[in-house]
Amino acid sequence: MPIQTRRSDDGQTLTIKITGRFDFSTHQAFRDAYEDGNTDTGHYVIDMTETTYLDSSALGMLLLLRDYAGGDAARIHIENCNGDVRRILAISNFEQLFDIR
Amino acid sequence: MTIRPHLDQDALAELQDVMEDEFGVLIRTFIEDSKSRIATLRQTLASGDNDAFMNSVHSLKGSSTNIGAPQLGLLCAQAEVAGRAGQMTEVRALLAEIENEFHVVELLFERWLCSAT
Amino acid sequence: MDQDLPEKHPLRILIADDNDVDRLILKSLVRRLGHRVYQAVSGAEAVDRYRQHRPDIVLLDVMMPVMDGLEAARQIKALAGEQMVPVIFLTSLSEADALARCLEAGGDDFLPKPYNRVIIEAKIKAFNRMRQMHETLSRQRDVIHAHNQQLLAEQRLARKVFDNIAHTGCLDAPHIMYRASPLSVFSGDLLLACPRPSGGLHIFIGDFTGYGLPAAVGALPIAEMFYGMTSKGFDLGEILREINQKLNRILPTGMFCCACLVQANFHQGELRIWNGGLPDGYLLRPNGEFQLVRSAHLPLGVLDADRFSTDVVIIKTDPGDVLLMATDGVVEATNRDGEMYGEARLQAALGPHTGAAAVFEALQEGLQAFTGDQQMQDDATLVVLEMVSGSLLPAVSAQLVLEARNGPMHWESSYKIEGPTLSSFNPLPLLLHICLEVPGLRHRSSDVYTLLSELYANALEHGVLELSSAWKNSPEGFSRYYAERERRLKNIHGHFIRFHFRHTATDTGGKLVIACEDSGKGFDVQQYLNNGHGRTPYAGRGLALIQGLSESVRFHAQGNHIEVVYHWRLP
Repeated sequence: MPIQTRRSDDGQTLTIKITGRFDFSTHQAFRDAYEDGNTDTGHYVIDMTETTYLDSSALGMLLLLRDYAGGDAARIHIENCNGDVRRILAISNFEQLFDIR
Repeated sequence: MTIRPHLDQDALAELQDVMEDEFGVLIRTFIEDSKSRIATLRQTLASGDNDAFMNSVHSLKGSSTNIGAPQLGLLCAQAEVAGRAGQMTEVRALLAEIENEFHVVELLFERWLCSAT
Repeated sequence: MDQDLPEKHPLRILIADDNDVDRLILKSLVRRLGHRVYQAVSGAEAVDRYRQHRPDIVLLDVMMPVMDGLEAARQIKALAGEQMVPVIFLTSLSEADALARCLEAGGDDFLPKPYNRVIIEAKIKAFNRMRQMHETLSRQRDVIHAHNQQLLAEQRLARKVFDNIAHTGCLDAPHIMYRASPLSVFSGDLLLACPRPSGGLHIFIGDFTGYGLPAAVGALPIAEMFYGMTSKGFDLGEILREINQKLNRILPTGMFCCACLVQANFHQGELRIWNGGLPDGYLLRPNGEFQLVRSAHLPLGVLDADRFSTDVVIIKTDPGDVLLMATDGVVEATNRDGEMYGEARLQAALGPHTGAAAVFEALQEGLQAFTGDQQMQDDATLVVLEMVSGSLLPAVSAQLVLEARNGPMHWESSYKIEGPTLSSFNPLPLLLHICLEVPGLRHRSSDVYTLLSELYANALEHGVLELSSAWKNSPEGFSRYYAERERRLKNIHGHFIRFHFRHTATDTGGKLVIACEDSGKGFDVQQYLNNGHGRTPYAGRGLALIQGLSESVRFHAQGNHIEVVYHWRLP
């Protein structure tokens, strides 16, 4: 299971955990993870603890999530990236679009 | 005073069995050895060489017992005890008895050898 | 006379007596028992005969001229050494102190006069049995000793082999303190540390069930995978998964490895820790506060791949924080009363500190005070890691520089994929492998992979398959894009993608030039460049990534030929 989701007790935070490579092969599962019909979600957490690699199509997928979550108003945290993943995000200036911690 | 037989017939019979052809040699060796030891005993007693006397009387005691001359062995043992105690008069008396006993034993052995062959 | 039949194995017996009569009688008696007799008439002759014939049993008169029986017994026993030679004194001595002197001289028994055939036979038999038993024991002891020597030699050899594979890695770095028993290989404990190409390091501390050879055998693949994968840039989770799967396959049920894998990221001030079955670890703040690192998993080698989890605990750290991990040999160390050290005493020994060395010392002192002068058990392994600030990272680099200079530095290679192969074959692992033969690039494997995969995706998807990035503007378009990709992949004719690599050494490291050319129509390079790279917000990020990672990017011809220059520097 490369993509796992967990919803907080108050239902407002959706955590999506990605295991292994985050690339085009996971795009459908990633989309299904956040397009779950739940309108309560106000906060998204992308848990990259076990994400080993990120490619350019994954960057695109993150941007689509951002649009889905309200564009500039979206509240998305990207957490626990390893050094390589963080570097890719940095090169693409994603710090300006996401809360990376 | 304890008296034992001059020769132990049973022991001698067994010895003869064990020694087979060498029995005669054994008896002759005993007689020669004993003669020489008794001479040593007399000599060392006269010269006061107590250690040499004790060695010889101990040795004679052993071979007498082994060959089946218990009375001779007993006399040697008594002489050994007296010698160790320094009772020299007693030792002299016992040496005389040892010589007498040896003559008897020698005689009996000669007879034994003649009857055996 | 049946009882006089010679024994099956005649013995060689030395008789020493100056009295001819007694010696003759005893010689005949012993011969009648079937043994071979050597004779001597004095103590000195007895010793000579012994030296000459090495008889099995010695019968000695006590009073003899030229060395008495006592002295002869002493010399014979000394000559015999470890061999057992029963010495029986021929005597009718009756005083206790004379008998005692015989025993002191090494005598084993006495034979009184007049000789008795039955007693002689019984004694010879008894002492022969004793002698044989002694010989058997000596032989077995020698065999065991030889085996043990061989085992030790093999262990030393195995240790050497093991050390070549499971060397201590970077355990000698100044911010790491550790204790591992010199023979820990065979106690089942394992401690490894290896720097990561992207910075930081991995530490593995493990404890096999069982000990000895099986534990050492299990430890070898762990060490190899740990060092191999860490230095190739693999992540903690991937390494754990590999090790678990391997152990699961090779270890018999009931044997596993309690272990902890630590990833220390000094630049980010972060520890990632996976603990499967080891005692609680401690993250110790300088002010004495601590956080437990509890075991959250089953040991390695227990679960199959589907149920195995690589979830880690992530701890944010500041410079000066110290991590302590240990095998159960530490908390289970016992004192003279058999009492265990335990968690409480361990925690009491840990207070405010000034770094790894201080923590390590406090711990050693605490343990020593508890166990007294008893040695710490062989299976007590512990490691203390201090989080240093990124700039203070110790110079593991010296070794890395050396390693980086080795390996292929000047080479060129071309790889072209044509026709149907494009639809079925992923060339990226192969191409990555070629590049990572350069040790300096190994430390930047993620960059190299990104360059290769983005170049390849660009050439394949836009060049060969003519897919439009614009589709990726919407979620639906994204799905359509990849569905279309699948469909078109199946129908490729007359196309190719060609990679060309050229690597050269530079003063500061190395330069890799990657050219990627495809048979597609290309695109209007000028327009792409003029339009602020002409990308939509959702796509075209591949080229941006390539530009971000590399020194320069040049487009040739009609955009279907891209050349990327990538520099790497010595650490």
